[in-house]
Parts: sequence; structure tokens; C-alpha cells
Amino acid sequence: MALLQVDDMTHYFGGLRAVHNYSLQIEPGELRGLIGPNGAGKTTIFNLITGRYTPTEGEIRLDGTSLIGLKPYEIASLGLGRTFQNLRLWRHMTVLEHVKMARYSRLSYGLSGALFNTRKRREQEQDTAEEASRLLKRVGADQYADQVVTSLPYGAQRRVELARALAIEPKVLFLDEPTAGMNPEELRQIMEIIRAIHADLGLAIFLIEHRMRFVMELCEIIQTLDFGEVIAEGTPDEIRNDERVIDAYLGKDIEI
Amino acid sequence: MAVASQTLTTRWSSLRAWLARAWHPYRPVPLLGWLAAILVAVVIERAIGAPVARALGMSRVPALFGFIIMLKKPELLFSALLYVSLIYLLPIALVARFTVRPANRIAGELIGYSLTASFLIHLSVLYAALFLWSGENDYRELVAKLAMIAVITTLSLNVVNGYMGEFSCSHPGFMALGAYAASVITILLFVDDNLLGEALLPPELGPFMFPISLIIGGVVAAAGALMVAIPSFRTRGDYLAIISLAFMFIVKSLFENLEVFGGPRGLANQPDYASLTTIFLWTIASIWVINNFVRSTMGKALNAVRDGEMAADAMTVNTRRTKMTAFLFAAFWAGVAGGLLAHVIRYINPDTFGIRRLAEVLAMVYLGGLNAVAGSIVGGVGFVIMSEALRPLEILKWIMIPVLLILLMIFRPTGLIAFREFEPEKFLRPKVESNDQGKHPPQPVQAVGDRP
Amino acid sequence: MGFFFQQFANALQLGSFYALIALGYSMVYGVLMIFNFAHGDIFMVGAYIGFFVATAILGLGIFEIVALPTGAMLAIVLLLTIVIAMILNAFVGMTVERIGYRPLRQAPRASAAITGLMIGIILETGNLWLLGATRLSFPELIQTSTITIGGVNLTNKKIFIVLLSIALMLALHAFIRRTKWGRAMRAMAYDFAVVPLMGVSINRIALLTFALGSALAAAAGIFFGIAYPVLDPYMGIRLGWKAFVAAILGGRGSIIGAGLAGFLLGFIEIFVAAIFPSTMRDLISFGIILIILTFRPHGFFGEPYSAQLRL
Repeated sequence: MALLQVDDMTHYFGGLRAVHNYSLQIEPGELRGLIGPNGAGKTTIFNLITGRYTPTEGEIRLDGTSLIGLKPYEIASLGLGRTFQNLRLWRHMTVLEHVKMARYSRLSYGLSGALFNTRKRREQEQDTAEEASRLLKRVGADQYADQVVTSLPYGAQRRVELARALAIEPKVLFLDEPTAGMNPEELRQIMEIIRAIHADLGLAIFLIEHRMRFVMELCEIIQTLDFGEVIAEGTPDEIRNDERVIDAYLGKDIEI
Repeated sequence: MAVASQTLTTRWSSLRAWLARAWHPYRPVPLLGWLAAILVAVVIERAIGAPVARALGMSRVPALFGFIIMLKKPELLFSALLYVSLIYLLPIALVARFTVRPANRIAGELIGYSLTASFLIHLSVLYAALFLWSGENDYRELVAKLAMIAVITTLSLNVVNGYMGEFSCSHPGFMALGAYAASVITILLFVDDNLLGEALLPPELGPFMFPISLIIGGVVAAAGALMVAIPSFRTRGDYLAIISLAFMFIVKSLFENLEVFGGPRGLANQPDYASLTTIFLWTIASIWVINNFVRSTMGKALNAVRDGEMAADAMTVNTRRTKMTAFLFAAFWAGVAGGLLAHVIRYINPDTFGIRRLAEVLAMVYLGGLNAVAGSIVGGVGFVIMSEALRPLEILKWIMIPVLLILLMIFRPTGLIAFREFEPEKFLRPKVESNDQGKHPPQPVQAVGDRP
Repeated sequence: MGFFFQQFANALQLGSFYALIALGYSMVYGVLMIFNFAHGDIFMVGAYIGFFVATAILGLGIFEIVALPTGAMLAIVLLLTIVIAMILNAFVGMTVERIGYRPLRQAPRASAAITGLMIGIILETGNLWLLGATRLSFPELIQTSTITIGGVNLTNKKIFIVLLSIALMLALHAFIRRTKWGRAMRAMAYDFAVVPLMGVSINRIALLTFALGSALAAAAGIFFGIAYPVLDPYMGIRLGWKAFVAAILGGRGSIIGAGLAGFLLGFIEIFVAAIFPSTMRDLISFGIILIILTFRPHGFFGEPYSAQLRL
């Protein structure tokens, strides 16, 4: 069984079928992509797997454990991290606090530690802060550590979000349009960072993207989604030449 | 015209420059220096305050730095200001200015020795000053007690309205539960009461049972909080506001109907266990514990839930448990504050904790500042003092205070000090002399998390 | 059986007050997305305005000149009082909106809630200050006569209040359904931003919403004065908050819901008081409402809505 295994997932919103017979196998260390026209259901699939919705049918397993019915934070604790298309950062918190927050489930000092500032809490907070610093350094955002996140330039915010997701120590990392709103320079940087974390940390990455060139360059295997169904799955070369993929995008604005 | 405004601008900047120069010698004064200076001023007042006041034409020492005289006897205002300058401002200025070196040295040595020792010394000086100041007359003692209770109340509501970002109207209900629970226990055990019968325990045990009764009051309040939290946390939105409002009325009506607790006539004759010292200790405890909580990652999770619940979910935060814990924790402290209040004013009835109380506690939180421990301290103390200062206006006080609050809402809706971290350990450090290069006190390693 | 119908009639009357007041809360919440916590006190102000208008008209002494049977004379006074008080109170409501709420249109919604509380306190204190603590006695504008049907005593006051309340609610309903302004209010309830695009100013709709709610509250105040002739500055608190919770029970922005919930609250209170000791009335009423809200937080006719009071 694969690290992340999705079998025949189907989901209805009321009477509307959003996703149909979706399947996915991600092995450890794979770099996979999910493309498709707007409204195809890509973010819905992310939301289904990460626990925001419970799929009407189908099975999802992470490392053998079923994710169906689990709450999002439980799924995250099991090792499924994600970023968001529209950067859900916490307006009043600093960069360092963002990354530390993702270590929440690993903190064991409990309420007594929180209330009475026990040694255990101090040590764990110290360790968490150091780990967070390391992650920020890895994504190249540690110079912003004590700044409130809203004062950062957009590209830096994206990197903070990435560091935050990494702090979960995920086995699989879902990236929802990581390049949205970026200029070419920021794009190049983020691609390098993703490549670097993929190589150094060996985690599996599954990303949604609109920019075809980005997906083609980065991903090993790509799924194409249209109207909630997978219409093609294969290597970048296979996808590039696939009739059905071209059809789905016909008339839409793409750069191959 | 342009020339006139230019003269104004230059006058303003030269004023500011003068102020900066005048303040300059005070910049290196550490907190310890200020506290010591205040203590000296208070001692001076206790020693020669009354004769000085009489010499200035006042029959007594001004109770509240002249704030009350301002409105009650405006003809004495000048005398009061003179008094404040002579007895407070002058000694404080002199002592602070001329003890800079020893103050910094001692502060440095204390920190070097142990952070806890430093805290204890600073708190002791503060306590001594407060104790002496309020010993002047009963009124001062009452104001000091009410101000400290207000700090506890404001902090506890800030956890919900500020840090958690909800709008809760149930705090008067929590205070009522704590007040009644604590009162019933102390009256039952230590007072011969018409309603609750003879005292059951010897009075010597009283001061020891008091903290326990307060804690029980807090726990009862937290249990009540479950009644609000369970229905409303399943849903997002304004439901907490509405359900908490209903809860407040239910609690009020509950006590109106419980004849065993006095019904609409309420409970009186609470024993006089709420001394200044007791309340001071509880207040410091509440500040310490609540500050610890909101600075921890567990506490920051509350902010994460407020500012982006979906993201918090995705980052392993158990959002439901976070909200529940914080809400019950806040309710506990509201209950403690209620218990303390009951034993200060020594009479409570269901009306004590109604809409008027709700307006007051909301005012204190939003005045002081959301999501800031320092803000709550300022808001609680500030509101009580303002309330006392406006007392001579009698009924018009309750037109002035709402008007001020409305103006505040329009011009500074998040309050005076908002979204700031309270790091008391930073205040304990000696301050560097501004011309001294390269002589910096040791900085803590990380941003959050104090270390001894 | 007669007892039941007797209480039924009482419940209808009490429910009328709650319904009329609840409508004000519901409209403001629906259209402007804020809780107007001053509304209960606006009801109180409306009652007092009614008192002064009625007293003034009666004191004019026209009636010594024009000879009319007392019943007809009082009816004219009553009608004039209602109309004038509703108009005046509409202005009170609009002033409250203009001064207290309009500056906070963009502010966090918690600010509006607190402002509402504060305005309420100002109104109460102002009343206390201007008029003192003595309670006022509402002039008798309807000479009581009782009709007995099947063992049930119905006073003409009760019938009048209930019928006129329902008439006003229907009038409001028609206004919202049929007029351009009513449509604008409904549009704003769905989507705030739409209204300026329709060529209507948000400020105007806000003023209108408050005007309508306050006018109805004034009517409720006068009816209250007719039914229970004693007025005091805190009458708004006693009725207002329960009406507020009833409005929520009815569902966000739903006129019908607010009306029905108001009547339901009246029924709960009267029948609870008939069975249990009357002091437990509030406890049980609020308790029932709390339970209903737990299982149906968006009320009877509201849609599940998520918006947090955001900082």
C-alpha cells in the first residue's frame, strides 16, 4: 500500500457531484502534481483528504491509517501538512510564532505547564523555537522571525507559510497553488526551495498548480482533473501530449 | 497666515525638545527606581501629608490625587495640585533621579542572582507602597481593592473577547456564580446567619478557608461556562453572544428564585476576609497565570483560532479543546473576582450582576485594550479610578462614562494598549545609561519563554 | 377551558409587545448585521414620548370647545398620540443610528454592540435625570369595557392592542415586500455591497431601518402604557432583552420569524406563570429559548450563517 492511498473517492455537495471516483497513490518521496481547469475540483480534493469535508464515498489511508471521519487537526498530526491557496496567515502573530504553532500537537507540557511556566514548558518552548528557527532558515525567511507576518513582502509570506507546514514534520505535504501571485523571481526562488526540501527532507509532495511550466519542471507524475474526475495521469511528457488534457484546456489561457 | 502657523510649529517642536531634555535624566531609571521613589513619596505622605494638606486649605489629604476634588470642590483644585506636586511629584522625581546608579546596580544584581528573587523584591516594594498609600483612609483601601478586582475581571474577559476574539456577555453570570458560591461557603461555615444558620467552624479557620471558597467559586463558574460553551462552540458566528446573554439572564433569574440563597433580597454579612493583602496576592496570581497562558504556544493557539481557524486546524491545533479550555479558564477567574467582590462590598443580590455590570466589564476591557495583559491592567484600574473621579457628578456620571466609551469606540476601537505582549521580566532589567556604549545587559536567547 | 382562553388572550397581548419590539431588533440585525442593544431603551423612550404627547393633547383643552362624546374624543387623542409618537420616535432612532452606529460602519462589530449598550445607559440615565425617579402614570385613552364571550373576559383594550399590533406588522410586511425601499432593505440583508450599485445609499437604508424599528417600538410603548399604565425608566430593559432573544429565535432578518417568536415568547411566559410560581417566569422562558437555540442556532426562519464578530 502506498504512503497516501485514496481509493474511489466520490463527493457530493447536496445534489451536486463535485468529485467522482478519484484515486491517488503517493509513495514516500514522490513529487506529484494536480492540474486542471478552474472549478475542476482540485481544492475540493485537497479539502477532502485533509479532513475539511468527509467524502460521501471512498477510502483514504495515510500510512495504513484510515483518515475518514477524522478531524483536520488529527489528520495533520498523523503527518499530512498543507498550505493554502490564499495564504491563511494569522494577522497578529510573528513569523516565528507561526512556525512554532504547527508544533502544537507535539507539546506535552499541558495546561499546568501553560499556566505555571514549569521547567518542562520552558524547555519545550525553547526547543520549539529553535526548531522553528531552523525551518525558517531553510526557507530563507529567518531574518523576519520577530516581525508580525503582515508586514512582510508577499514572497516572504509564502515562504513562512511553507515553513509553518513543514513544522508539522509531515510525511506528505500538500501545496495549494504555491506560486499564486508571484513574480518570475519569486517563482524561481520558491521552486528552488521546494526542490531543496524535497531533496533534503525526503517528503512526498503533492501540489496543485495553474502554471503548467512550473508543474512540468517540478513534478514526477501529474494528474489532470476535469469536472471532478481524473482524465489523465502520467509523466510530464505524457501529459503534455495527451489529447484529453489539451481538450480540457481548449480555449483557456495556458502556457505550456 | 503661513508665518503664524510656522511660529506655532516651531513653538511646538521647541516644546517637545524641551520635554525631551527634561526627561533625559530619567531615561535610565529602572522600574526598581520608580517603585522605590513611589514608596518614599507614600511614606512622606503618611508622615506629613495631613499637616501639609491643612496648610494648603484642605481639611484632609486628597483621597484620590485630587481627581475627586476636581469635580466636587473645584475651589480647592489648585491646592490639590500643589499638594500632589509637593508630596508626590517632587519626591518621586528627586528620588528616581538621584538613585539611578544604586537602583540599576541592585536591579542588575537581583537579576543576576535569580529572576524569581527580582520579581519578589519588586512586588514587595509595590505592595509596601500600595499598603501604605491605602492605609491613609478606608476609602482609599476600598478603591484599591476594587481596582485590583477589576484587573482580575478585565483580564478574564480579555481572554475571551480579546485573545479569542469572541463577544461574550456571560461574565456577569460567572461572577454571580463565583460570588454566591464563595459567599454561601463562608457564611455557612463562619457566620451566624438568619438564612444559612449558625457558624459551623471556628473563626480562626476562616482566612484559610477563604482561598478554598474562592477556588470553589471559580470552579462553579467554570461549570456554568460549560453550559454556554457546549451549545455555542459547535457553531461559528454570533451565537456565543446570544447564548451567553441568555445565560446571564438565566443565572440572574436562578438566584432570584433560590430563596435558600436569599432570593431577590440577596446575601449579606459576608465575613471580612478580603483584605488588601489577600486581594493583592490573588491579583498578582491572576496576572502571572493568565500571562503565562497567553504567552505559551497553547495560548497563542487561541489567537490562531481567532485569526484563521481553518489554518489552525491544518496545523494540528485542536480548535475545539483550545476554545473550551480558554473559556472555562476565563470563567474560573471571573468567578474568583466575583467571590472577592462579594467579600469586599459584603452584600450581593441578583441585580449586582446584571446588564449594568455587563456594560462595566465590557467597558473595562475595550478601554484598556484587547489582547494585551497590560491593557487589562490599565483598563481595570483606569475604569475604577475614572468611575470614582466622576462620582461627584452623581447621576450624570452614567452619561459621561457611556459617552466616553462611545468616543473610544469611534476613535480607538481596540483600546488603549492592544495586541501587545506583556513581558514583565524586561522591566526588571537595569537600564543602560544612554552614553554608555558597549555595556548591555544580557539579552534572553529566544523571543518567547523566560529563563532564570 | 375558559381559563385557557383567558390566558390565551393575555398571551396574545404580551406577545404583541414582544413581537413589535423584536421586529426592530430583527430588521437591524438583518439589514445592518449589528445588534442594536439600545433598542429596548428606544422602546422606553417611545412610551414616554407617547405619555407626553397624550398629556399635551389632553391638556390642550380643545375638548371643552368641541363637544364630542368622551369615547370618540379619546379615540382621536389615541390615534394622534400613536401617529405622532411613532414619527417622533422614528427620529430618535435615526439620531441614534446617525450618531452612534454610522461612524462605526467599518469598525469591528463588537464596537457597535458596546456602543448600543452605552446609548441604552445614556437614555435610561437621561430619563432618570430629567424626570426623576417617580414613575409616570399613562393617561387613560381607552375607557375600559369588557366583553364576555363564553366565560372569557376580554377588555376592549386587549382586543385593540392585539389587532392594531397585527395590523402594524402586516403593514410592515407589505412595505418590505412591495416598495422600492423595502426591496432595498431585503437586498442589503443578503449582500451589503449590492445596495449602492442599485443607486440607493446605504446611509439612507440604515436610517430607514432604524426609523421603522423605532416607530414600531413607540407603538409598543403606547400599547404597553394602555395595558399597564405605569412607566419607569427601566421598563425597556425588562422587556427589551427578552424581545431581543425572541428576535434571534425567529431567525436572522426574518420579519415573520421575529413576529412569531415574539408571540411564542408571550405564550411561554403567560402559560409558565399560570403553572409555575411567577418568579420562575424568566428562568423558564430563557431556559426554553436557550434549549431551542442550542439545537437550532439560526432560529426558526434564519439560514445558517457564519460571521464572527471580527476584531
